[in-house]
Amino acid sequence: MSEQAQQKQQQHRLMAAIRQYGGDVADIPFWEGCEQGVFLLHRCNACGRHYWPASRCVEHGDHDMQWVEASGRGEVYTYTVMHRAYTPDKKDKVPFVIAVVQLREGPFYHSNIVDSAHDEVAIGMAVQVVMTPHESGLTIPQFRPADD
Amino acid sequence: MRGKCAIVGLGVTEQGIGIGLEGRELRARAVDLALADAGLPRDAIDGYIRAHVAPEDLRHMGLSPNFSVSMMTGGATPVFAIVAAMALIEAGQAEVVACVYGEAQSAAAITGKPDIVSYGYGYPMLYGLLGAAATHAFHAQRHMHLYGTTSEHLGAVAVTQRDYAVARPGTLGFGKPLTLAEHQASPLITDPLRRYDCTRNTDGGVAVLVTSAGRARSLRARPVFILGAGTGHNIVNWHRGLVYENHDNVAPAKARALGQAGMTLDDIDMAQLYDPFTISPLMQLEAYGVVPEGHGGPFYAEGGARPDGAMPTNTGGGQLSAYYSTGFTGVAEAVLQLRGQAGAGQLHKAETSLVSGHGMNAGVQNTWAHACMILGRNP
Ligand SMILES: [Zn+2]
Repeated sequence: MSEQAQQKQQQHRLMAAIRQYGGDVADIPFWEGCEQGVFLLHRCNACGRHYWPASRCVEHGDHDMQWVEASGRGEVYTYTVMHRAYTPDKKDKVPFVIAVVQLREGPFYHSNIVDSAHDEVAIGMAVQVVMTPHESGLTIPQFRPADD
Repeated sequence: MRGKCAIVGLGVTEQGIGIGLEGRELRARAVDLALADAGLPRDAIDGYIRAHVAPEDLRHMGLSPNFSVSMMTGGATPVFAIVAAMALIEAGQAEVVACVYGEAQSAAAITGKPDIVSYGYGYPMLYGLLGAAATHAFHAQRHMHLYGTTSEHLGAVAVTQRDYAVARPGTLGFGKPLTLAEHQASPLITDPLRRYDCTRNTDGGVAVLVTSAGRARSLRARPVFILGAGTGHNIVNWHRGLVYENHDNVAPAKARALGQAGMTLDDIDMAQLYDPFTISPLMQLEAYGVVPEGHGGPFYAEGGARPDGAMPTNTGGGQLSAYYSTGFTGVAEAVLQLRGQAGAGQLHKAETSLVSGHGMNAGVQNTWAHACMILGRNP
């Protein structure tokens, strides 16, 4: 990436929110997609492997990596119920579920499971994405039980 | 490799919560204790590795080595630092390398404003994920799903280690027994991990002096020989989509360490396994093949990790019940056991010990570095 492009990225309107919550500058296209209601993954066009967050392909590096629209569907792979809040936005939401969703395309996505009682969340549960506004100003994918 | 180097000095400061000393002073005292233990003069240390990333503090210690290195690969740093010390000695760059740790963790937690981003694992902070307990809970939940491991099994780890600490002066758990019922009654922090499944940050310093086997024999303390070592990194399991089944990438570390030592698992008398949470030693015992996959819970429940069990594990109470020195806890315990200095907790058979380290916050993939070594009473 050129110095100019890097500088432009640093000044991106979403940058402060992404930084505040530990996100990565390389994922800006993903968060822009969320604002449009689109769930993107980073794909290597050489082999078709999907990645999240932004990565270099383990086989092909970054010569043909592209953000592509993904299914937004997957299964709960593992999860925890957080009984303590460490971030201000969760203070009045304890306990809440954080799951690692294995997306149909392969990558893992860490998210909250919503529209489901805590004791109904289980490994293997089919889930689908629902875009939700976050207090940081970002739109974030959360997951709820799948329709079918 | 086998037996070419040895640990000849061990310094362990007071360890505990809010002991009122800053990190630099803890490190300096640990070095003083290690030098006294080895019977070496201050200028014998010609290499210095600090297990942390930070400015150096040689002047404060009155040391004058030829190099000073900061090293950080999470809780694998102590073992890795000792491996690096051996390599530097073998490369002719030093004769006595000090591997040093000392932090006032509890004081920082009490007085400082912790930078929460440094406890995060990247973007999942948007969802409230913060701290290593949650990321280890992912391993625990998956293990329960695959193998039927229970909270009582995790409790058996906590109780086993506490029982070791109860008899060990200077530990957090000294004289304070813990029952399974108390474990079960302790609050959930991040399901399935309860309060007693988690370590607490403590203050303390530890220094270990490494030298060649030849020089070791001329020193005061009984040498503890480094018989083999190995590393493995869990990033490969992230790439394979198997990171939650694998607490660490133990296979390459185990193969190299046992290979260098010319040993099999049957030759190992005890294990000191990195234990930030109860799930951690349980999964490592499986990964090392001490028990078959999925049998870690029953192994603990049936007493397999106790002094008379098949593999006494974390025999000084570990980080869960003794003190948290980010990986030096197990190193220090192995040295004490192999020297026959473990007091009331001395194992009858203590010729060899496996020691592991694990850690490093690498972001969303929470990949853990792993390093292990086999220490022996004899070369
Ligand atoms: Zn590729």
